[in-house]
Amino acid sequence: MAPGPDPNSVGDGAKRDEATIKVPSKDPKKKDDKKEEDLSEEDLQLKQNLELYVERVQDPNPELQKAALESMRQEIRASTSSMTSVPKPLKFLRPHYGTLKEFHKNMAESDLKKLLADILSVLALTMSAEGQRESLGYRLTGSEGDIGSWGHEYVRNLAGEIAEEYTVRQGEEASIEDLMDLVQQIVAFHMKHNAETEAVDLLMDVEDLDLLLEHVDRTNFRRTCNYLTSAAKYLPGPDDMLVLDIAYMIYIKFEEYPNALQIALFLDNMQYVKQVFTSCTDLLRKKQFCYMISRHGITFELDPEMVENDVDREMLQDIVNNTKLSEGYLTLARDIEVMEAKTPEDIYKAHLLDGRASSGPSADSARQNLAATFVNAFVNAGFGQDKLMTVPSDSTSGSAGNWLFKNKEHGKTSAAASLGMILLWDVDAGLTHLDKYFHSNDNPIIAGALLGVGIVNCGIKNDCDPALALLGEYIDKEDSSVRIGAIMGLGIAYAGSQNDQIRSSLSPILNDAKAPLDVIAFAALSLGMIYVGSCNEEVAQSIIFALMDRSEAELGEALTRFLPLGLGLLYLGKQQESVEATAEVSKTFNEKIRKYCDMTLLSCAYAGTGNVLKVQDLLAQCGEHLEKGDIHQGPAVLGLAMVAMSEELGLDMAIRSLERVLQYGEQNVRRAVPLALGLLCISNPKVTVMDTLSRLSHDTDSEVAMSAIVSLGLIGAGTNNARIAGMLRNLSSYYYKDASLLFCVRIAQGLVHMGKGLLTLSPFHSERLLLSPTALAGIVTLLHACLDMKSIILGKYHYVLYFLVLAMQPRMMLTVDENLKPISVPVRVGQAVDVVGQAGRPKTITGFQTHSTPVLLAAGERAELATDKYIPLSPILEGFIILKENPDYREE
Amino acid sequence: MLTVSVKWQKKVFEGIEIDPTLPPYVFKAQLYDLTGVPPERQKIMVKGGLLKDDADWSAIGVKDGQKLMMMGTADEIVKAPEKAIVFAEDLPEEEQATHLGYSAGLVNLGNTCYMNSTVQCLKSVPELKSALSNYALTGRSNDVDQTSHMLTVATRELFGDLDRSVNAVSPTQFWMTLRKKFPQFSQLQNGMHMQQDAEECWTQLLYTLSQSLKAPTSSEDSDAVKALFGVNLRSRVHCQESGEESSETESVYSLKCHISHEVNHLHEGLKHGLKGELEKTSPALGRTALYLKESLIDSLPRYLTVQFVRFFWKRETNQKAKILRKVDYPLELDIFDLCSEELRKKLEAPRQKLRDEEGKKLGLQPKSSSKDSDVKMTDAEASSKESGESSTVTQQEGGSSEKGTLHMTGIYDLVSVLTHKGRSADSGHYVAWVKQESGKWIQYDDSHPSLQREEDITKLSGGGDWHMAYIIMYKARFVSM
Repeated sequence: MAPGPDPNSVGDGAKRDEATIKVPSKDPKKKDDKKEEDLSEEDLQLKQNLELYVERVQDPNPELQKAALESMRQEIRASTSSMTSVPKPLKFLRPHYGTLKEFHKNMAESDLKKLLADILSVLALTMSAEGQRESLGYRLTGSEGDIGSWGHEYVRNLAGEIAEEYTVRQGEEASIEDLMDLVQQIVAFHMKHNAETEAVDLLMDVEDLDLLLEHVDRTNFRRTCNYLTSAAKYLPGPDDMLVLDIAYMIYIKFEEYPNALQIALFLDNMQYVKQVFTSCTDLLRKKQFCYMISRHGITFELDPEMVENDVDREMLQDIVNNTKLSEGYLTLARDIEVMEAKTPEDIYKAHLLDGRASSGPSADSARQNLAATFVNAFVNAGFGQDKLMTVPSDSTSGSAGNWLFKNKEHGKTSAAASLGMILLWDVDAGLTHLDKYFHSNDNPIIAGALLGVGIVNCGIKNDCDPALALLGEYIDKEDSSVRIGAIMGLGIAYAGSQNDQIRSSLSPILNDAKAPLDVIAFAALSLGMIYVGSCNEEVAQSIIFALMDRSEAELGEALTRFLPLGLGLLYLGKQQESVEATAEVSKTFNEKIRKYCDMTLLSCAYAGTGNVLKVQDLLAQCGEHLEKGDIHQGPAVLGLAMVAMSEELGLDMAIRSLERVLQYGEQNVRRAVPLALGLLCISNPKVTVMDTLSRLSHDTDSEVAMSAIVSLGLIGAGTNNARIAGMLRNLSSYYYKDASLLFCVRIAQGLVHMGKGLLTLSPFHSERLLLSPTALAGIVTLLHACLDMKSIILGKYHYVLYFLVLAMQPRMMLTVDENLKPISVPVRVGQAVDVVGQAGRPKTITGFQTHSTPVLLAAGERAELATDKYIPLSPILEGFIILKENPDYREE
Repeated sequence: MLTVSVKWQKKVFEGIEIDPTLPPYVFKAQLYDLTGVPPERQKIMVKGGLLKDDADWSAIGVKDGQKLMMMGTADEIVKAPEKAIVFAEDLPEEEQATHLGYSAGLVNLGNTCYMNSTVQCLKSVPELKSALSNYALTGRSNDVDQTSHMLTVATRELFGDLDRSVNAVSPTQFWMTLRKKFPQFSQLQNGMHMQQDAEECWTQLLYTLSQSLKAPTSSEDSDAVKALFGVNLRSRVHCQESGEESSETESVYSLKCHISHEVNHLHEGLKHGLKGELEKTSPALGRTALYLKESLIDSLPRYLTVQFVRFFWKRETNQKAKILRKVDYPLELDIFDLCSEELRKKLEAPRQKLRDEEGKKLGLQPKSSSKDSDVKMTDAEASSKESGESSTVTQQEGGSSEKGTLHMTGIYDLVSVLTHKGRSADSGHYVAWVKQESGKWIQYDDSHPSLQREEDITKLSGGGDWHMAYIIMYKARFVSM
């Protein structure tokens, strides 16, 4: 800068002139004078020193040069530690950056040159022009000393430049070795200094996450993995899989098996799941793993390699097979004191509708009784007792029989099957209750009993395979209602099992020219459920052939939609590569079904991926204004929700886009929008969505109103939400004359009070990370059926409502001791807080209340133990949690 | 010998021995002993299949120590009830209508809501319905002209249709005959039929019916409509200038509720309506003079109709303007103080009786608390319940009910309200609000009947742009002596 009176000044004036030229100010003299006045004594001293160094650096004498460089470095390092403003040494050196650069260029190769390069690299931090990456350039030619000594900001800047450089070099296919060395250093530095997120970011930029494994340690792996898993949601495939792979390996490395298992399940990698079992030696922890697998709802067979002891293995397999679910659920119910059976009237609460509800008509309405059957089934689901179906038939006027016969024809199917729902998960009792209906001579009742067996066995596996044994015989019976009952029962009981025996008996039906359309449709659907997400080619082939064999008229039928849906379920969540071939084949289908098939395949394949490009594709489909009665926009709207439902941001965006679709879309699109909203917020009654649906439930188009009403039920499913319950009550008086709409209102009321508020339909679990494929399959099937409410649910196929059983899970946290007996401990339950990337050990829940287990968890809530007496074996406190006594615990 | 365990319901039977040489039926017999389930009802599940009675054990591949599962109960098999259940959906349309608890709406044929609401209000009078059905039997009498006869028949048919149907009825025939009889209702405006004054429709229709429903004997008493709706007024006409006084009687079908600045309540309006000034030639003065006319009710009708005089001819704008003033009306109306002296005397005893009954209902014991009064009360209750039916039987007796056991009390209950919404009589919308026998209120908005709450009915009193009462009808409360 301006040459002040400097006693120490050495060197020629020419250089000094050069230095002054760099000053951008027009009137350097004046300004500098003023500035110097502002500077404190200390600063002035520093400035003068630095200027001296700069001049000395250019001294021909290497000794002097070295001393000057060393001192300069000293000054810079001493000050870079805090970065709230540009450090003084950097500020004072700014004008000399050009000088030094120039000098460096002309310097001979030497240690001194490297030393100077180091300093220039730091100076470039504030001086380098955008995109020049000078800091990196000088760093690479520098002495490669400890990178951290220059401070955080420097490292951060360097990391940014590396990422840029990396892309450039990738484009030129140049070597990146020198960069990677630097990356190593930076990552090591970041990982040591609580900047895991930055280390991960850098490694993702240079596509070498494996490096992370070397640098994680016990103190930071949790935060690292947290960041990795949440970042994976926003990465395009297949990067997300790689990221999760790394997270898995880190968890395994630090023996954090529950988390490793979680990721293995997310990746749907059974090899990894197995590895978790083989790596862990503690039996109790393995039990916890089994609980986690059972919640995910997949079929998993333990082998001797995973658990050596036969007795232990059997016990663990029992947990995987969900045989204890019913018991746990009833423990919860007893604890919360809701065992008392409820009648549909308890749910309708007609007395609150002062005088508006018409006084009970003297004759039974079949429609309303059917609705009551469903309400009764949903409300008392899993409790094993109710007031309509299981009441002991004491005398000739056995009331169980009575209620059954208060349903008409196909209604009896749903009524008999409702027993399965009431005794859900309790196979022994369920079969006992259903037995007598097998001997009926009324086909709809037999069909209902078969379906009921399937429902009872939903999610429960048993060595004796009772469902298969009982239903297998009926799938080739003459009466199509009986066949459908058996087929649908199998689909529900064996969803996700990929059972070959069932495939070999169901596949022939698909290609049987004589089989009626409805039987074929349900067979395709059941196969889709059983092979959900398996990409099984043989099943795909059978369904494709079945679709090709359909006549023009059959393709127009409402039920035909189950064929493409069954096909789509095979690829649920498996993304493009797997579905490509089938999607290609579907292009050859009859145009009536082609687009529908296309949309269904696309939406199923990307379900739960949050893929933004697919969301845009689907939105574009919804935006088209079609002339003809094309039906493919319905699945496109549902697909939108299926793809976007996986993470919060995408979900909110989807909700907003749907508002637009609602405003500008055609009628058939509008009809699907409430259903999509229902899927997005399933069992999670967001107030904004509730209001939108409430508005739509009064829509002039009765089909929009119907789907809005059903969706109100879906978003409130199992929550007992008072506001939705009130809305539905008012709707029931508003629509009391319209039997169809009233039916929908009743169903929605049943859903809201599902399991008396102990159940959830959300397919997501484990802190919203994992998506249960069978649960999603069940919901999606119902929603597709709702696209043509009039012919399916309001027609004679109302029992498709029972597909929801696949998604029904207790929303509980139940703590058990080492002998798997329930114990009560205090827990805090509060709204979950996203702590990813936050420093320190932030609170994970907010606004909590302390309860004692078992407790209910609402959507978005998280629990944590409020005692140190026990240690949970899984960090994710949901479902069954095994507690181990804390050896270090001391009673106070 | 194989040993297996069998799980049945919640029990497990351990160590059951199987002899592989014997057919499975033997095994089932073993289980019968244990469980009491007959072999033919047993379903034994082995590895995804059912055990057949004649199967070969070796082919099934049961291993030693295997767990089997059995399903089966000795329960009675469900049977359909002998008497098939009848579902509402299967019933013929007429019966479905009765299940609904109220009758259907009327289709608007183009500005005919004035007519629809009038018909709905009048239909709520069961006595009128039965009188009309009797009309069919008596047939047309000679002194009734053709159009009146047709209108009467059309009314009867329309009432019948409404009772039978679930869906809205289209009153085409009735409308045609109405227009034929009263051509003023066929006025067109811009090619559309104009909105009409419901009050005019009401009055004209009632007048026609009263003409045609007169019994052939043509005596005053046999006028069914008059017996139901007629109010006899005795007026005292008084001239202040000359001091002349005369009295006259007249019979009207409705009382008028005049609305002026002081009127806030129906009762005040009625009083106002019964007082009037008129100019007529005074014989004493030999010129026109101002007379004051004060009327009192001389006999009470079964159904008291009150018309709110909301419309008046506004000269400056040349249209019928509407008074929006809020005039409250009660669900229970007492017109005792509008009655003449003689009538009051007659009413005294029944009113006392009514008060006693009500007092009892509220738990207050009348002074002469004895057992037989309790009995009386129950009697009274029973008869008051029957009153709906018995009144149809005794309808010929009309307002002079002294002959029967039932007595007028001067207390009336609101049964129907005809409201108008809008700013002038020839525009806006008419709606009928009718109390059903079940005690529920139904709003008949043309073809859409809907349930309403009783407290909402009293909110139709005006003062805003909401529906406001134009014609209201009260039903007399009787007490048996």
